[in-house]
Amino acid sequence: MKNFDTMMHVRGESIFIDDLPEWAELQHLAVVFSNVAHGTIKRLDVSRAAAAPGVTRVITAADIPGENQIGGIFPDEPLLAEGSVHFVGDPLAIVVARTREEAYAARRLVEFEIDPLPVVTDPRESFKNGTLIQPPRTFALGDTDKAWADCDLVIEGTAENGGQEHFYLETQIAVAVPQENGEMKLISSTQSPTVVQKAAARVLGVPQHAVEVELKRLGGAFGGKEDQATAWAVMAALAARVTGKPAKICLDRREDITFTGKRHPYSTDFKIGLKKDGTIVAFQAMYYQNSGAVADLSTSILERTLYHATNSYNIPHVRVTAAACYTNLHPYTAFRGFGGPQGMYVIESAIRQAAEKLGLPAHVIQRKNLLKEGDLFPYGQYTERCQAERTWDELVARQDLSALQKRIDQYNASHTDSKKGFALMPICFGISFTTLFLNQAGALVHVYADGSVTVSTGVVEMGQGVHMKIMQVIARTLSIDVRRVHTQTTNTFKVANTSPTAASSGADMNGKAAEIACSEILGRLKTAAAAILGHNNPGDIQIRDEVVWCEGRETQLKWKELVQKAYLMKTNMSAYGHYAVPNLTFDKTKEKGRPFAYHVYGTALIEATVDCIRGTYRFDAVHMVHDIGRSINELIDEGQVYGALMQGIGWVTMEELLYSKEGKPLVDSLSKYKVPDMRFTPETVSLHFLENADNPYAVMNSKAVGEPPLMYGIGAYFAVLNALAAARPGRELFFSAPLTPKKVLSFLYGEAR
Amino acid sequence: MKITLTVNDQVYIRDAAPSKNLLHFLREDVGLTGTKEGCGAGECGACTVIMNGKSVNACLVLAPEADGAVIRTVEGEALNGELSPVQHKFMEHHAVQCGFCTPGMLMSIRDLLGRVPKPSVHQIKEAIEGNFCRCTGYQQIIEAVLDVTGQLTKDNKGELRHV
Repeated sequence: MKNFDTMMHVRGESIFIDDLPEWAELQHLAVVFSNVAHGTIKRLDVSRAAAAPGVTRVITAADIPGENQIGGIFPDEPLLAEGSVHFVGDPLAIVVARTREEAYAARRLVEFEIDPLPVVTDPRESFKNGTLIQPPRTFALGDTDKAWADCDLVIEGTAENGGQEHFYLETQIAVAVPQENGEMKLISSTQSPTVVQKAAARVLGVPQHAVEVELKRLGGAFGGKEDQATAWAVMAALAARVTGKPAKICLDRREDITFTGKRHPYSTDFKIGLKKDGTIVAFQAMYYQNSGAVADLSTSILERTLYHATNSYNIPHVRVTAAACYTNLHPYTAFRGFGGPQGMYVIESAIRQAAEKLGLPAHVIQRKNLLKEGDLFPYGQYTERCQAERTWDELVARQDLSALQKRIDQYNASHTDSKKGFALMPICFGISFTTLFLNQAGALVHVYADGSVTVSTGVVEMGQGVHMKIMQVIARTLSIDVRRVHTQTTNTFKVANTSPTAASSGADMNGKAAEIACSEILGRLKTAAAAILGHNNPGDIQIRDEVVWCEGRETQLKWKELVQKAYLMKTNMSAYGHYAVPNLTFDKTKEKGRPFAYHVYGTALIEATVDCIRGTYRFDAVHMVHDIGRSINELIDEGQVYGALMQGIGWVTMEELLYSKEGKPLVDSLSKYKVPDMRFTPETVSLHFLENADNPYAVMNSKAVGEPPLMYGIGAYFAVLNALAAARPGRELFFSAPLTPKKVLSFLYGEAR
Repeated sequence: MKITLTVNDQVYIRDAAPSKNLLHFLREDVGLTGTKEGCGAGECGACTVIMNGKSVNACLVLAPEADGAVIRTVEGEALNGELSPVQHKFMEHHAVQCGFCTPGMLMSIRDLLGRVPKPSVHQIKEAIEGNFCRCTGYQQIIEAVLDVTGQLTKDNKGELRHV
């Protein structure tokens, strides 16, 4: 079904925050960022800037009426630096002016001196210094120490992965408008309205009921506006409070790329033990997460790395430890996959390395160890309705691996300047917030007397089509035409205590909350219908396609008339639905439990051709078999898979963040940071949704789709690597994502390691 | 200075600072906010408009340079309020997710189809590679363009295939 929500997009009529009409006396903000990665603030003088044309005010930490703190999980993130700075981009002051140009011009007049302190950019160095956000965590199963002796092969290695810039098309933006009675209205491009509300209340020194956060849609987010939207919205609120005028902040692209949070780089040591036939006996890893200068969501992300350390494989002996290491770089934050991709990349690296030593194709080891029904994850949960083998087998039934291998071998034998390789990538991704209390959502549904319906939930529409899915859930529950339903803004005054739209859970949880609200309204409408029809048992009433049925027989009463009459009968046609995901447990003292409502499975096959002269590569084909449950909207879900796939491929291939030794980000634009463009798309992409795979644990038997397919992209690393191995047989493989053309050339023509 | 522009068949006469770019002029002075700013540096394509028959990044054109020009923006893509065939296919194939790159994308496609009525996949990729989309992975956009140019057909399984 078409996503009606996109109608306004194609007409150019959708209103994003920057498209809103300007308020009278709107003030514009420019942030003064630290240009030093670590140091003590010796002097901060805003007097010249304050006297500049158009400047209303220059705000520093001293102007904050409440607490100078926006850290969510750990209170380690001042809104404005006081005493010291911890990364290039640490905000020092805010210039407020009549126009954006005046604010940006005056920003240059703020004078500051910072005495530099030692800069750490490497998580392993941070670990040695003991600068961790929290003590390392370990997930363990079986007994790895004893298990190594039972292995025919034990190998150790390291895997490195870089970070990733979200590159949402709409940069960070917020507007604050002071209201009567000390209230503040914030329009913020955030995935977490409640997080913004709490942080603004804390900084302004007011209760949450004095801060309204509202938004209609985001121009992309991908995790980059889960925690990272907060600072900017709170700055706008602060400026509006201090000046008494509406205030707007909109980062330019350079600021957004340079200073805002990104996916975490990791450096990891692994050890894997196998039998000769490829059976994995034991796996061990130590993950050093580069957490950046503030905790942000790093510890939750780290936790998900541990959950996904064994990807889709059943491994009897596991011991994985992860440390969140502070460094003097910008924050690292949520990004689609949330630590899962980093975990999966390591186990896939270990398998690829083991394949080399065992003389087996990696896909033989992968297939042999896939999870089966009832297998135990290291965190104590058992697989249920496991689809790992099914997605794999359906994929290879569609794509003949031996024929593919033969074709590639022939190509490689007859080409010296280019080589081909392929890789398979199974995925298994747990669905639920691992911070268990976040697994709740609310929806407020109103049926109007004319038969139209509106809903406001805690979910944030950012392109994932969640509003359309919720409209479909409502239409199905009430059995009415979906065009009768509209979704309204996400607003903390309509639905309170919302969880971030994250963890792929938006449609699952908010859809369920809307379903609950609609069921309640439906029950009341059935009572009204029974009364209208002079029937004494509302249980005999049904609504089917907008027509009221009674005892299995169609009546003359239709939706519109029913609703009109029900209203006159003083029926409550509004309901608030609240959904809490049931049966989730986790004991952090034992690191065991059932943290996920269910898992999403799938398998991808990626084929690459490497240009051995230029070091560039292209992807000839990607084939996927994906476990979607019973899709609520296949078009939307296909779009999620394709989009996630390209982000995943980008992460392991071309997207490279670089920093100087002094901790200065060296990429600040699309010309320096490459993200996939249309020409980089694979020649062929095929996607098959697994059939007969209903999921009883989510709304209408569907499955969450946002994050899992990103990890198909990891296969791109190994497809290119396999082409490289064909070019230089026997040369030691390396696991350092992204696998940029520079690294390709250095592997092909550099000294053997 | 005074600038005269024809945008989507309507004439606008507005004052603008000489340093103002066409993107901000369209958004702030003409009041057409459909065209988006993604980078302000000519790198992302979100602000693509058609100027005198050719696609340009509106952020790289100064408003005075566009004096007297004929401009088409996303707001002029629909015909008498009816979606254009490309807009229809964008919806039908779900070639839109967050929608922020869509206006520029549609303008680049308009430019392409004006030059090449039946573009190959390669020509589509070449023509639109300057329009970044972070949401869709581009597959459904390519499908929409193939379909609108009559190059998609349903096979016996009901799956869409390139002719």
